[in-house]
Amino acid sequence: MADYGQQTRPDPDKLLELATRETRGKLTVFLGAAPGVGKTYAMLLRARRLKEDGVDIVIGLAETHGRTETAELLDGLEVLPRKQIGYRGRSLEEFDLDAALVRKPKVLVLDELAHTNAPGSRHPKRHQDIEELIWQGIDVWTAMNVQHLESLSDLVTKITGVIVRETVPDVVLKRADEVLLVDLPPAELIARLKEGKVYLPGNAERAAVGFFKPANLTALRELALRRTADRVDDQMIDLLRQNAIEGPWATGERLLVCVGPDSLSDKVVRTASRLASGLNARWLVVSLTKTSDAGMDIGANQRLDELLDLAERLGAETRRVIAGDFVDEIFRIARRENVTQVVLGRPKGKRFANPFRRSLPDEIVKRFTDVGVHIVTGDEQDKPYVPPAPQKRSRRELAESIAIPVVATAATTLLGLGASEIVHPQNLSMLYLVAVILSAMSSGRFAAIIAAGLSFVLYNYFFIDPIHNLSIAKPHQLFSLIIFLGVALMIGDLAGRLRDQVARSRNQAKNTQALYEFSRKLSGTARLDDVLVAAAMHLHSTFGTGVVILLPEEGDLSLQTAWPPDLTLDNTDMTAVRWAFEKNERSGHDTGTLPQIHWQFLPILTSHGVAGVLGLSMLEHPASLTENEDRMLTAILDQTAIAIDRALLVRENAKTAALQESEQLHAALFSSLSHDLKTPLASITGAVTTLRELGGRIKPEGRDDLLLSIEEEAGRLTRFVSNLFDMTRIEAGTLKVKSSPVDAADVIVSSVERMKKLKPGVAIDISIAPDLATASGDSSLLGQVLFNLLDNAAKYGGEGAISVYAKQDATGVVINVTDQGKGIPAKDIDRIFEKFYRRVKGDGRAAGTGLGLSICRGFVEAMGGTIKAESPAIRKRGTRFIIRLPIFDETKNEDTAA
Amino acid sequence: MNENRILVVDDEPQIQRFLHPALTASGYDVITATTGAEAERMIATSAPDLVILDLGLPDKDGKEVIKTVRAFSEVPIIVLSARDREVEKIAALDLGANDYVEKPFGIGELLARVRTALRQKVAGTSVPSRFEWNGLAVDMAKRVVTLKGEELHLTRKEYQLLVHLVLHPGLVVTHRQLLASVWGAAHVEDVHYLRVFVGQLRAKIEEDPNHPQFIRTEAGVGYRFIAE
Repeated sequence: MADYGQQTRPDPDKLLELATRETRGKLTVFLGAAPGVGKTYAMLLRARRLKEDGVDIVIGLAETHGRTETAELLDGLEVLPRKQIGYRGRSLEEFDLDAALVRKPKVLVLDELAHTNAPGSRHPKRHQDIEELIWQGIDVWTAMNVQHLESLSDLVTKITGVIVRETVPDVVLKRADEVLLVDLPPAELIARLKEGKVYLPGNAERAAVGFFKPANLTALRELALRRTADRVDDQMIDLLRQNAIEGPWATGERLLVCVGPDSLSDKVVRTASRLASGLNARWLVVSLTKTSDAGMDIGANQRLDELLDLAERLGAETRRVIAGDFVDEIFRIARRENVTQVVLGRPKGKRFANPFRRSLPDEIVKRFTDVGVHIVTGDEQDKPYVPPAPQKRSRRELAESIAIPVVATAATTLLGLGASEIVHPQNLSMLYLVAVILSAMSSGRFAAIIAAGLSFVLYNYFFIDPIHNLSIAKPHQLFSLIIFLGVALMIGDLAGRLRDQVARSRNQAKNTQALYEFSRKLSGTARLDDVLVAAAMHLHSTFGTGVVILLPEEGDLSLQTAWPPDLTLDNTDMTAVRWAFEKNERSGHDTGTLPQIHWQFLPILTSHGVAGVLGLSMLEHPASLTENEDRMLTAILDQTAIAIDRALLVRENAKTAALQESEQLHAALFSSLSHDLKTPLASITGAVTTLRELGGRIKPEGRDDLLLSIEEEAGRLTRFVSNLFDMTRIEAGTLKVKSSPVDAADVIVSSVERMKKLKPGVAIDISIAPDLATASGDSSLLGQVLFNLLDNAAKYGGEGAISVYAKQDATGVVINVTDQGKGIPAKDIDRIFEKFYRRVKGDGRAAGTGLGLSICRGFVEAMGGTIKAESPAIRKRGTRFIIRLPIFDETKNEDTAA
Repeated sequence: MNENRILVVDDEPQIQRFLHPALTASGYDVITATTGAEAERMIATSAPDLVILDLGLPDKDGKEVIKTVRAFSEVPIIVLSARDREVEKIAALDLGANDYVEKPFGIGELLARVRTALRQKVAGTSVPSRFEWNGLAVDMAKRVVTLKGEELHLTRKEYQLLVHLVLHPGLVVTHRQLLASVWGAAHVEDVHYLRVFVGQLRAKIEEDPNHPQFIRTEAGVGYRFIAE
């Protein structure tokens, strides 16, 4: 019931699909039953009509095969020039994908959907080119024959005897927005063939005669018609789903397809695909691996990968299943996925079928009661999967696996001969078993078998009557000898297996350990560069390949890390990099995009999307990655992605924190400025309005005081504003100081007087060394500096007297201003010269601008001097400011003047 | 004659310097405090009739002072605040301050607020059932609002809003206070209700709703019913 309710609402996935379709280009496929039915002709005819209607239509590539009537149609249509691709000394003409993308027409005509591109093209297959064009919003028209459809290729081979090499995945046709059937009755097609109107490549002519038989053509025509009809069906159902129309369209069928590494499985997948499309059902393909075999056989794994790839191309969901009991697992999946039909294969001619064990299909049939079971039977060509022969041993290994059993059995024989007096010869067979086990443990199964054989021969020769002869006298000895051989072989096999397993687990443990080390190394690094370098080095040492990592920067991807560090990428490589980044799929070597380059690029996927691209140079690693390596790579990549993600977050955090701090600073600065400007303004406004409105009612002394306060506050504002101006001059760099002689003593005295006028209560002691040299600088700037320092000391210096002291040393004139206040904590002392820095925060502090000291520094430095602060100054109290100005050098100054 | 006692709390000597003579000349008895703690002590011991409080004090936040004082006293409080401290100002009003004046201010403005607040204090003891200003009459006993003798049809919310405003004549009422008393505590953030209902109310009682005579907007703070 719930299902029913869902179905009456528009399917969101369907609507989403529709929405993406709107930004994408549209794909139109002209489908024909056989070559020569006139697909290109029909396509060009339609193109001309559209062109006449003013649509921007361009011919990317159209094969006229020298037929004049078709060639004439090209007249007046824009045809893109083909690209020349050099390949093994020959020059091949190919469709120019980049030119088409640059030209970007509304509609592009691109013949021969099943075409395989020349090596060196961006994509190996034309349908991939078309996919890219459509993504870029270009409508594409293309043509194909039904025989090239992946799911039909085996059927076509069976019908016509022709092996189809160039295939197109079914999804391409399924995703096409429009499929036009170009139909021609077989009789007419054969007539056209006889008139020579059908193009055939020179060497295929004889095969073609067999192909163009009425029976074949009729069968192919039926396939094409049925496919098109199926599509119309599908479209109707899609339409119903998008519009939430109820109907009998939901078949509710779901197929479960079980495959293994045997060669029959291809056929099982294809059959299931046809069945699924006939039933309009969703289908799930699972590959089955025994728990005990998992990860053991690389060949079988690759085979399963290929099968699942094929199934995906045909539109199936796929899943890998590792299970102890296939029947149980299949049953479980079937229940969970609401499977209605199961498809599996049964190989024919199983010569050594175990009469006591039922085959998987039998078990399934027995177990399932309410599910249809389809069994695809094999023929003689279908073989069960045979694990490939173990890889060739190295010469050393081979020598070892012969030498060890030889030595072991020889030693056993000698020992046996020595002990034959005390041990019964029959018991010596036990010693030989030891030799077999030793060989198995140290060199594997092969050595165990050799040891078993040797033991058999040696034991017979030396210890069984007649001795020194391979013949056997007594029948019971023959029996025990055969038992011995059997036991030796079994034990050897078991021990060898054990050894292999141990070696494998050790290898896996090593991988796990390496990964663990790597992740630990990564977790210790928060800086992006360190993460990248660690990842690159680790990948390099794991795979022995060159490694590059690229991250997006200013709109493009740039090389961040390479190991070895001298690796570079050329333009083609960068195209592949961008592909991997934008499409989030592998590109380059051994992939569907630019496979001719030696790099393989993988997207680094984080929780926020693709963070970057990893490149492995496969020059040193010519074969594709093994399953095991691929797993390692994925694991390392995941770790790296997490680390990159974290490093980027850390970086982002730091940025945000810095921004926040600067914002806080701004806010503090603003409120301080506002307070400092508003307090005098508020006082002046208040006093003036009081005088105006209530003046008559206030006593003369009160009026005088109000007037005085206005004057003082105006003075404060003036100082504040001129401080701001001074600061602006320093900031803008427009403060130019003309070096002139300065009598520091004079300046000190006048600043102190100015201060005393402002704050009469402040006690200031002056002490000036006799014969103080003339300093170099600017009197008025120095005066302002001293005034600011005195003002500061009066404000923050507490009740004690301020002392000003001037002396001279080897390097210049030194002026100290010391107060007896609380002093400044060491952690703040370096910041007090910063602009708007004030140690006391908030509204309730003494009035000040926070500019005084930074102005002091600006002025002193402009005069070529230095200023610093020390705290505590005297007896754990107070702050001392030390100004050092250069001594005025008359000669030098005259020189510059002259 | 009226000899109302006003406590001025401000740490800036320059502000005290003109407030003191101005308030004295206007016939008030002025006492001063420069810290929050001193202010709290003086409110408790000297029983001022009104407090003028600067929010920026050296020892504690002015808002803290309001909170403490409101626990034991209903003395009218006028807050001195800078224009850029909007949030602080609203918080102070919500904590129980009666009005605010933005620095820098003219003494006339401050004195007007002081008079309004003092009048409120006197009126606060007995709530009259009928108000009338400039032709707008609100009869709370009969629940009838008339404008120049003509009866107005107000919705329940509009009426409650108007009553809450006229009960605080001349004083600012914050958004929060209005929302809490008319809509309830759950709606104190829904300032957009107010915009709508004040708009409707103005359309009914104001001659020109674009230049309101009765309900003045205190941008970002609240509304003030003009009763002069």
